[in-house]
Amino acid sequence: MADDSEELAPTGQPLFPLRAEDIIDNAFQNLSPNQAREVSKKAADEALRLEVERRKASLRTDSAQQEIRNVIDNANLLDQRGGDYKIDSTFETASGTTSVQITRSKSTTLMVIIAVGGILLLLVAIALILLRH
Amino acid sequence: MWIVVLIIGAALIIGGKIYQQYHRTERKKLLDENPTIVRVLLSLEPEALDDLFRLYRSQFGSGAARYARHTYRKWKTGEVHPSRKTFHRLAFHLPSVMNFDLKCEMLRALRREYCGQSHYELSVGFDDWKAALAPLIARLIERSYTAELPGEVEQKLTWLAGSDMQNAKAILSASEAQETRDAVASLQSEFHSLELLLAQPGAKRRIVHTLDLPLGTITLNIERSN
Repeated sequence: MADDSEELAPTGQPLFPLRAEDIIDNAFQNLSPNQAREVSKKAADEALRLEVERRKASLRTDSAQQEIRNVIDNANLLDQRGGDYKIDSTFETASGTTSVQITRSKSTTLMVIIAVGGILLLLVAIALILLRH
Repeated sequence: MWIVVLIIGAALIIGGKIYQQYHRTERKKLLDENPTIVRVLLSLEPEALDDLFRLYRSQFGSGAARYARHTYRKWKTGEVHPSRKTFHRLAFHLPSVMNFDLKCEMLRALRREYCGQSHYELSVGFDDWKAALAPLIARLIERSYTAELPGEVEQKLTWLAGSDMQNAKAILSASEAQETRDAVASLQSEFHSLELLLAQPGAKRRIVHTLDLPLGTITLNIERSN
């Protein structure tokens, strides 16, 4: 696992919440008093919207973590029972969507091993026949 | 001599046809763009859409507003193409009487449609995902500030050139960049959980995570570290 302190966002663009004032500073450009009011209001609304999105994302994180725990538990249970199984799970997270697929297919693996072994035996048999002649 | 004349004649006819077809296609492309713009302008959040219809009513009367409310879903799905009059009302007249907030929301919808189509796909492990993702994230954050609507859309929607829209763009750019940073910050804790899932021995595991960002998506095929 990479070091958690490593900065993923570009240098000078830290991962802390943007304040309304930051947005206003970016947006103000020779505004009339009326325009300045509108821009200030929109910037404050936008900062609030981002904060709401962060809260929603936090809820999605909690639910995604629970989903992952469920998937792990189910896979462990099915492992204990033995036999083939397949788990498909898709869940929303704070940053997007995660799809997980877990497959256990002993019989398929066994069949592949038998098929490869059979082909090898056949090749050896052909080689022996050719050598005798 | 006659053969040469015939060949030149045939070449002129074929050339003319090709030229005609090209112009027809170009004209059709321009006309096709109108429904797209209307669809995008109507893909607002419910609250902003209500504001838009209220404004529509105050400007064009309750009958026109009722029709617009009734038909907008069909416009959005492309089932019905908006008339030139509707396009004109939505794309030109309304923005001239809209408040700054609603214009910002329309600009946001336009940016999502026309600037947010990039898609990237990466294979990453738990050891290297940050290093693999960092340049792409940097590029997408930069794109929040530099992305421009296509020239033909800006030419059509002349209100986008107003000085207030430059302020709107500055606000939305800063917001999109912050949303990208927030998503990446969340990804760090999500990887901790996914590592637990992939660390389990036994069955074969495949994890695909799609990162939804304001100006694009990144699909990560996550592999077990060695």
